[in-house]
Amino acid sequence: MAISAPQNPSQVHRFPQFKYIDAVRWLPPVSAFDRFAAIAFFDSDSNSPSIEIHCVNSNLQSSFPTLTSQSSWAPPSRISSLKTAHSTPQPVIAAATFSGSLHILASDLINGGMIESGGTLSELGFHSGPVAAVDLREGGTECVSVGEDGRINLVSFVGDSSNLSYRRIFDANGLVGYTAVKWASPSEFVTGGYGFGLQWWDQRRPGGPVSQFKGNWCQGKTSGIVHSIDIHPSRKHTCLAGGSSGTVFAWDLRAQQQPIVLAGAGTGEAAMSLLSESEVWEVQYDRYTRSSNISNISSTRILPVMICSEDGILAVVEQGEEPIELLADPCAINSFDINQQNPSDVICSLEWESIAILTRS
Amino acid sequence: MPGASSDSTSGALVPLLPEAQGAVVYPLHHGLTSPVSRLSISWSRGNSLRISVFASPSVNDSDNEDAGGKVVEVKLGGGDGEISDAHWRRITYGSVSPFALLQSRKNAASGLSKMSMNSSPYNVDWWEYIMEYSKDISALLGNQKSPSNPVIDDPESVIKKGQEPTSLKAAWELLEMFYAEKPSQSWLPERLVDWLADYNSLFSGTHPTVHSKLIDFQKELVNLQVVEDDPKYWEVMSSALAVGWLDIVVKMLRLHGSYQLDQLSNRETENGLVEAVAVLISKMPRMRLEQKAGNLGECFKAKPDFVKAWEKWRAQINKLDSSAFWFQCAHQQTREGLRSMLQVMLGNANSLCTATCHWIELFISHLLYIRPFTVGLESMYSLAQKCIQLKSVASAHRLMRLIIGILGENTEVVLAECSKGFGPWMVAHALELLTTGSDLAEMLLHEEHQNLGGISIEELHRLVYAEVLSSHPLTWQIAPIYLTSCVKQGMVLLQILLSKQPVQHNQLLFKNIEICRLYELDGISSNIMKIAGVYHWKHGRKGSGVFWLQQARDEYRLNRIAQQLFDSVGKTISDESFKQWEGLIQLLGSESKAAGGLEFLQKYRDFKKSLQQVHDGKTADATHQAVESLISLMKTPSTPQRFWLPLLYDSLKLLNWKDRPLLNVSQTNLLLNKLQELSMARLRPDFIEAELPSQALNSVRLALATNLGRAILEE
Repeated sequence: MAISAPQNPSQVHRFPQFKYIDAVRWLPPVSAFDRFAAIAFFDSDSNSPSIEIHCVNSNLQSSFPTLTSQSSWAPPSRISSLKTAHSTPQPVIAAATFSGSLHILASDLINGGMIESGGTLSELGFHSGPVAAVDLREGGTECVSVGEDGRINLVSFVGDSSNLSYRRIFDANGLVGYTAVKWASPSEFVTGGYGFGLQWWDQRRPGGPVSQFKGNWCQGKTSGIVHSIDIHPSRKHTCLAGGSSGTVFAWDLRAQQQPIVLAGAGTGEAAMSLLSESEVWEVQYDRYTRSSNISNISSTRILPVMICSEDGILAVVEQGEEPIELLADPCAINSFDINQQNPSDVICSLEWESIAILTRS
Repeated sequence: MPGASSDSTSGALVPLLPEAQGAVVYPLHHGLTSPVSRLSISWSRGNSLRISVFASPSVNDSDNEDAGGKVVEVKLGGGDGEISDAHWRRITYGSVSPFALLQSRKNAASGLSKMSMNSSPYNVDWWEYIMEYSKDISALLGNQKSPSNPVIDDPESVIKKGQEPTSLKAAWELLEMFYAEKPSQSWLPERLVDWLADYNSLFSGTHPTVHSKLIDFQKELVNLQVVEDDPKYWEVMSSALAVGWLDIVVKMLRLHGSYQLDQLSNRETENGLVEAVAVLISKMPRMRLEQKAGNLGECFKAKPDFVKAWEKWRAQINKLDSSAFWFQCAHQQTREGLRSMLQVMLGNANSLCTATCHWIELFISHLLYIRPFTVGLESMYSLAQKCIQLKSVASAHRLMRLIIGILGENTEVVLAECSKGFGPWMVAHALELLTTGSDLAEMLLHEEHQNLGGISIEELHRLVYAEVLSSHPLTWQIAPIYLTSCVKQGMVLLQILLSKQPVQHNQLLFKNIEICRLYELDGISSNIMKIAGVYHWKHGRKGSGVFWLQQARDEYRLNRIAQQLFDSVGKTISDESFKQWEGLIQLLGSESKAAGGLEFLQKYRDFKKSLQQVHDGKTADATHQAVESLISLMKTPSTPQRFWLPLLYDSLKLLNWKDRPLLNVSQTNLLLNKLQELSMARLRPDFIEAELPSQALNSVRLALATNLGRAILEE
């Protein structure tokens, strides 16, 4: 399968670190030239995790941007999931750890980017084992956390976010494990887990998932785990998921049990573009549309999707079209984030202790 | 404690030398207040030891604020010193692609040579590949020394400060120049001159060098009023000239006081001599491919041209040396200094010896001024031996030992020095250069050794490096690339490596399984999945456990855990908690998938659902479906015996259906038989009684009997 190269080659800058990168997220910008990113590190030499705010400074004189650390905060354990959200006056960062705690942080980007620890949830009943995934609601007042222990918690923080409280939405007692979560609306969210299963939850209808997407659609083929979910704000009925064996699929709530497979195994069609056979670690709708407006695309068509994979591929996948490869690295790309304010910028974390920043032109 | 280190707090240990008198003791601070009752020592990541110190249980538990134990990590050896662990990892990551590329080219080339019956795979392309590989690796070890030229050139700064050179890069460049570059190396002497110019500072630590002399003089230069009066000025210049740093010498000559405008008139002859020497130095003919920007001398690529220019240049020096102007030069220091520089250029062995400090410097000066036509390692080796005799040093630098090994054309020594001085990374990657072009070395390194378990030296060193990679959580994923290039033992070790990886976290687990997929190790991957399944199951994540066991198609364990699951099913499968089970049952999926005994759960769920509908009053299809489910449940062998009675008891309403008998004769007989079997089983000691009312059995039996009678009548 030929993979077409991008028409406009993008600029890639690599920043080798001396630490493993567990997660990367953009933070909202404060000026035209400075971009900020929250990065979760793990220093394997000293065995210490950290969350750092880095400033990506694109100097006009030299084409090479610089990445400088602004501030650092030490979590009790390695970060398993990191999310950021727009909030006034300061952006909010939610960090979940492998030891099962959740931390809400705020960063004052205008005054040096100091990290202030907002609140911490680390009590025993919160999650048993690692928190698999968290998602912050737009505006940053609520955060949903899921784990393989089958617990779904809703964490709310009020005011200065130092006051955290949580409510158990559901507890599957380990019979079901959740590995990904994403808000769909202020009251709805979607979880994903084993066997490519997805669950739609509505806080107004408690007690269990409102709707379930059965995971066994790829019958007979190898099954896998959903690693990442995304939902486009203008298409709340479609839930995008990426997971094992290069699988990227969308679940349209209106067509309940029929997945729209964008890439990967389990399709049975040889014609389907096989971008990667390994794990798709993260999926996000690619808001960087070149010419056509989103509203021009029919509502049944899936919007362009960016994925990163274990075999080192960062690519944009579009329904019925050949994928566009943006990066092909010899090592895994473990996570990426598209800058919401300036979607031409993508930040990725690479397995070999480095960060790549991609600027599409 | 004799010999206890003063910096014991850092926990660094030094190697125990056999000649040391007795063992050296290093105190280890564990920070426990109570006495130690037990010690446990195990390997940790990489080169670290993990020492767990357990305190004896304290007597009064009430104020037990102190921890019951501490874990201390002790780093052995303390690393390279020159290169940090994190930096080594960066080199490790970067060298993967060049190595893999070279291996694949090698495989392609050997495949090709087999087809065309060409005995040597080393064609012209091959040298290019090797050079490309070597350059890629070299680039990793540090940037090319690029002294960023300051905008305003400071006339007083003699030595430019570039990037701090490392021994590792110096060693790699040596190997590259002797093995990877085409063996027709008439430029080798000049390459060595450049090499020394780049890395001379590395030897300054233990021994005075020309570089350290220059650095010292640079410091003094600021305070000197009349530079030419200082004998050191002339001494340093001779030294720099001896090792061929022409630009530095010319720059320093121009600091001579006679150049100053106010003195130019009365020191005209003196200035003329200084300038003449400076011009001669900058015109020195050099046999090299290309001149580095900013370096002085005239380049000649071909030997005949060079010889001609060399003779001419020497004649000019001789002429100047014997000129009458020297008597007119009033300044004594200048006169003597310049003439001793001329002696250096004329190749006076004694002058060269006094001008240089280190034997390698003397060696280089001989190559420059006495034997510029030296070709062949043999003559270089004898020259080096001579120089070592003249400038003997107590302890040889690791680079010096490497040079001697290379010049001595002893591959085993070179390998040993690489390993001793620079570690397994160096050996594993340098092997590619060593095996190139020399049939002898190739035979030596590829020969299978019985005492090594039938593997070659090349494979041995790759395995050693792979072991180092395997021991670190951030580099173990690279180890397979090196292991798979080992024909004999590689695959076995790869399987062990993959089987050893922790399974706790999904991300790592998937990375591990991905490697299994790449190398088609299905057996290993299913084993890993089994381990993961059992791990998750044990930690209460039943869904994850079932998923992984299903992926591994492990019917046996699925059956075993099914028994455990049913215990909780019997208790908790009420309508409220059913939502929790729903997800798990969905995961079990279709019949085609391996579910083992868990198949029962699915049928049980269907039965419960339809029974619920019957109770809710939706009777049309529901009763029919409920009966179907019941019969199918009772028929399949996967339904555990202890569920038989509860199932029948739950369906009493169906058995006693008012309108008509729902079960036909054969179905009723089946259920009666099961009931009979159950009664027999109750007599066995290991039978578990279901928690049901005591009359349950009787009421089921009665209902079945009634149903049988009604069914017979109906038929």
